Amino acid sequence: MAVLALVPLAYVASYVVAIGPVDLWQLLARPRIAELLRNTITLALACMAATSVLGVALAVLVERTDLPGRRLWHGLLVAPLAVPAFVNGYAWVSLDRGINGFGGAFAVVTLSYYPLVYLPVVAMLRRLDPALEETAFSLGHSRTRTFRTVVLPQLRPALLGGALLVGLHLLAEFGALSLLRFPTFTTAIYDQYGSTFNGAAATAMAVVLVLLCLVLLLADLRLRGDRRYARVGRGAARTAVPLALGRWRLPLLATVGGVVVLALGVPAFSLLRWLVAGTSTEFPVAELTEALVATLALALAGAVVTTLAAIPVVWLAVRHRGWASTVIERSTYVANALPGIVVGLALVVASLRLVPVVYQTAGLLVAAYAILFLPRAVVTVRAGLEQAPVVLDDVSHSLGLGPLATARRVTLPLIAPSLGAGAALVFLAISTELTATLMLSPIGTSTLATEFWSASSELRYGAAAPYALLLVLVSIPATVLLMRADSPAAQTERVPA
Amino acid sequence: MTTPPRRATPRTAVALAGSLLAASALSGCGVFGSPDLVVYNAQHEQLLDEIIPLFEEESGLDVELRHGKDLEMANQIVEEGEDSPADVFLTENSPAMTIVDNAGLFAELPESATATIPEQYVPADRTWTGFLARSTVAMYNTDTMTEADMPASILDFADPEWQGRVAFSPTGADFQAIVSAVLELEGEEATAEWLAGLKANGVIVQNNLVVMQSVDSGEVDAGIAYHYYWYRDRQENGTDSDTSALHFFGDQDPGAFLSISGAGILASSEKQDAAQEFVTWLTGTEAQQAMAESYALEYPLNPDASLNPEVKPFDELEPPAVDVANLNGPQVTDLMTAAGLL
Amino acid sequence: MSSLSITGVTKSFGTGPTATRAVDDVTLHVPHGSFTTVLGPSGCGKTTLLRLIAGFLVPDAGSIAFGDTTVAGDGVRPVPPQARHVGYVPQEGALFPHLDVAANIAFGLPGHARAGREGRERVAEMLDLVELPAHFADRRPDELSGGQQQRVALARSLAPQPAVVLLDEPFSSLDASLRGTTAIAVRRALAATGTTALLVTHDQNEALSLADQVAVMRGGRLVQSAPPAEVYLSPSDPQVAEFVGRAVVLPGTATDARATCALGEVVLSEAATGPVALMIRPEQVYVDLTHAEGVRGSVEEVSYYGHDCAVQVRLDDGTSVLARMAGVRHPVAGDTVHLRVTGLVRAYRPAGAP
Repeated sequence: MAVLALVPLAYVASYVVAIGPVDLWQLLARPRIAELLRNTITLALACMAATSVLGVALAVLVERTDLPGRRLWHGLLVAPLAVPAFVNGYAWVSLDRGINGFGGAFAVVTLSYYPLVYLPVVAMLRRLDPALEETAFSLGHSRTRTFRTVVLPQLRPALLGGALLVGLHLLAEFGALSLLRFPTFTTAIYDQYGSTFNGAAATAMAVVLVLLCLVLLLADLRLRGDRRYARVGRGAARTAVPLALGRWRLPLLATVGGVVVLALGVPAFSLLRWLVAGTSTEFPVAELTEALVATLALALAGAVVTTLAAIPVVWLAVRHRGWASTVIERSTYVANALPGIVVGLALVVASLRLVPVVYQTAGLLVAAYAILFLPRAVVTVRAGLEQAPVVLDDVSHSLGLGPLATARRVTLPLIAPSLGAGAALVFLAISTELTATLMLSPIGTSTLATEFWSASSELRYGAAAPYALLLVLVSIPATVLLMRADSPAAQTERVPA
Repeated sequence: MTTPPRRATPRTAVALAGSLLAASALSGCGVFGSPDLVVYNAQHEQLLDEIIPLFEEESGLDVELRHGKDLEMANQIVEEGEDSPADVFLTENSPAMTIVDNAGLFAELPESATATIPEQYVPADRTWTGFLARSTVAMYNTDTMTEADMPASILDFADPEWQGRVAFSPTGADFQAIVSAVLELEGEEATAEWLAGLKANGVIVQNNLVVMQSVDSGEVDAGIAYHYYWYRDRQENGTDSDTSALHFFGDQDPGAFLSISGAGILASSEKQDAAQEFVTWLTGTEAQQAMAESYALEYPLNPDASLNPEVKPFDELEPPAVDVANLNGPQVTDLMTAAGLL
Repeated sequence: MSSLSITGVTKSFGTGPTATRAVDDVTLHVPHGSFTTVLGPSGCGKTTLLRLIAGFLVPDAGSIAFGDTTVAGDGVRPVPPQARHVGYVPQEGALFPHLDVAANIAFGLPGHARAGREGRERVAEMLDLVELPAHFADRRPDELSGGQQQRVALARSLAPQPAVVLLDEPFSSLDASLRGTTAIAVRRALAATGTTALLVTHDQNEALSLADQVAVMRGGRLVQSAPPAEVYLSPSDPQVAEFVGRAVVLPGTATDARATCALGEVVLSEAATGPVALMIRPEQVYVDLTHAEGVRGSVEEVSYYGHDCAVQVRLDDGTSVLARMAGVRHPVAGDTVHLRVTGLVRAYRPAGAP
């Protein structure tokens, strides 16, 4: 499985070797690449900065102030996660065509992705021991100074982790940016694919995209390593005394409300409007059902395969720590940083050249899903296996049970809930996946995401609305899972582009 | 002790078993089943969704469509080679047919399949046939422009006066076909210059519908597209075409290029009979008339079929003479990649 | 049930220069039906020894036998843990969190015995044995206190009637108040079933109070194994002495069965000659508050524990001595007292002497 996860990387690497540095350079040293690089990097940096500011500000307002209705706001502020970014892009662009280019992409992507910063920061704020702050107060520091010198530094890992996640998402984002007419590497690769199938120019762009992703991934892995040591003791029983906002209360309340209106209200309004407009003309129950069934079936198969594949990876990582198991576990994370477009491209080529039997089968698509979402399953299952300490195996052996019986009667029942949670997360991620599905779906199979895409890119907004609604509905359970901010999934959430 | 997870064994087991069942059910219920005919379709999805059921009903055959874009699918078929699951290939524009034809992957069509189509829309060796045609047009915003402001040639859009005023969709197969005609008629150097001018002037959008919207909303003064987008919108509710009009280039200008949608049968197909039956049906009067009466408003190539008279009549067009079998798709993508449009 | 014999067992971890000998040539015999505690500081190798016996580890050298059956070493292919019939009670009990108490206890019973009346009876019997009420059978592990969890863990290990029960610091995570009662319940259950038991601990009180035999480990080696009183009163060296309890070690000079030191003349448990180090337990130092008999000193510090108290006394010659006395009546700092030694005193060759 871990080997499969490396197929996309191997594809990119073998391409670089095959084409040679001279030709590669010719493909890369052209104005279009510079333009894409500028677009991709400026949008990524701008969105990472904006989501950081927005995410931290909202988290602090909700967690540490006397803002009225904090619990309600929390739910509403996380809720945009249930709206896939490409649906959000559709909602905005179908409302006003003027929303496009850098400004439009920046606004829509920021509104879609800020919860990726908000959630981990909230989780960190909840875990912080208020005793630290109280100690600072007792040493005569003011509230604002305490926040700056004591709280903010401790939020740093959560903040940076969330911002990097935004960056990775953005590099992989296809649907929203394509609708908003802002070309980045991912959309350009898709366009090249549409013109040449697997032309050299597309793969050359994939090389650059993979390098950008790896930069972010390395930063993320470094941070993860630090975070392990920096982890704050769990379960601070007390919560900090909320900061009184005073006369700032109303303006800030209006600001938070404004974010919710923009991030949730506008997409909801637009979606409902098109739903009404669309259903008044036609409501294709048969097509909807077919797409829904295909989506659920693929998601189910993908969830089962991915979760089963996660078991050996996790087993090695938790029970047989060593460099080999670390490499295997990490290699799945590398695949995770690869955008769906690269995974799709790599699997198309690899299957055609190496195993033509699987080409254009549901199996290949499921394999792509497994590569894309294995890390989610690994993180969740890992948390489960860590709940099943090895001493229980010892006890079971001492009571006369061999390894198989022990697995059946002790380990599996213990990790079952985490297997279920992991499978659920993967299931939901697959049901909203667009890019790899567009490239790899078998003949005659259309999913909610591909049907939505086909309708919305032909500007049949009304026809796209029911699919958008179903996409939002299937995303809600995952969002609820993620709202439990302490869940390990909250730290590794990867929304497909 | 840490708080242990609650017992969840039976539920999880049921969920796992359920998903396995669903996966196996999938393979049986037709989603992954094997059809009588596989059509790689780069023509408009909606059009085929409308007419395929007619064929299925008449022939009793079960047809599966795989949708894609012209050059993507042509290159895909070449890459797939002998193993291609495709039996029939349909395109929006003929350059994609040429790619597959040049790879020697098409089987010769039976005479019955091309009998109704005028010979200039069928290559000499009958490896494929045209079945629909679409005319290149320029759209213009009627608030800011008049017919008289429109250029005589599509090549004029590369002039600096059009800076920021013309929309087009370089990633679409339609535009790429237009480029192939320019290439065929004007040569490589002139084409590269024209593309560079368009890259500098043009507002790049993702498809021809957006071209029309941009023109109609006044975001740009003009746009390059095919005729039917505008007529379709007029026929439906007209919200994206009520402040725009079409400008047909005349005089055999490259801008009057008539692009041909093609149909071909893959030599590797093991279902030659069914494939021949389908292509013959597609060029026959019944299917041609059905397509003419559909939402599509593309020109049927079978002279016995007649299109809605609202659309500018086929015989009033003044297209340049282009050998449909000779349009070079790969060179177009190379030129467009070089121009930074891809 | 059977005896447990460990002969010359050695186990190292790691390889090359970084290898550490966790268990070094340990030989120990636990008679049939008896209770032995292995006492040592953390890192002394006691848990490794226990895991070797359980079969989770395989010794590098030496042999382990249950009764006449060798389970490891002596050229015998190591018997895997699941075939050794050992009961294992790890730290914190390690109950299966997904099973209720009854299912935990019945876990090691054969399939046919787990279900049905036989299983229920065995569970009830085991709950009774570890002094837990019968209705606990339906509880889940997270509804039990730490001590109750340990009792269930013991019941679980005893249910399949193992040859030997191994307990790994079973009480270390319990509150002081629970520790005593739980330990006594465990000892009673083991005695009632006549099970051979080996308990590993770093707590001297636990080691001394529970066992028939205490085995003291240090740096991977077994330094003394003897009945508790012998280990306490006649430790094999001064370090053992200080590890199993508070000790006053004074230099002295011995002549046969007697020796003189700062606390005057003492009677030796074993005859010696010349300079010696004398090990005197604080409770052997009698503090006389009323009579001026013995060596005089002044009280520096008193720690009052209720049932007894510890009194630090500075003798007139400057030596500091700890005495322990019943808490009924005790001196306060600054009082003048007289000290004398009661009972036999163990003499060692002084450190650095040949």
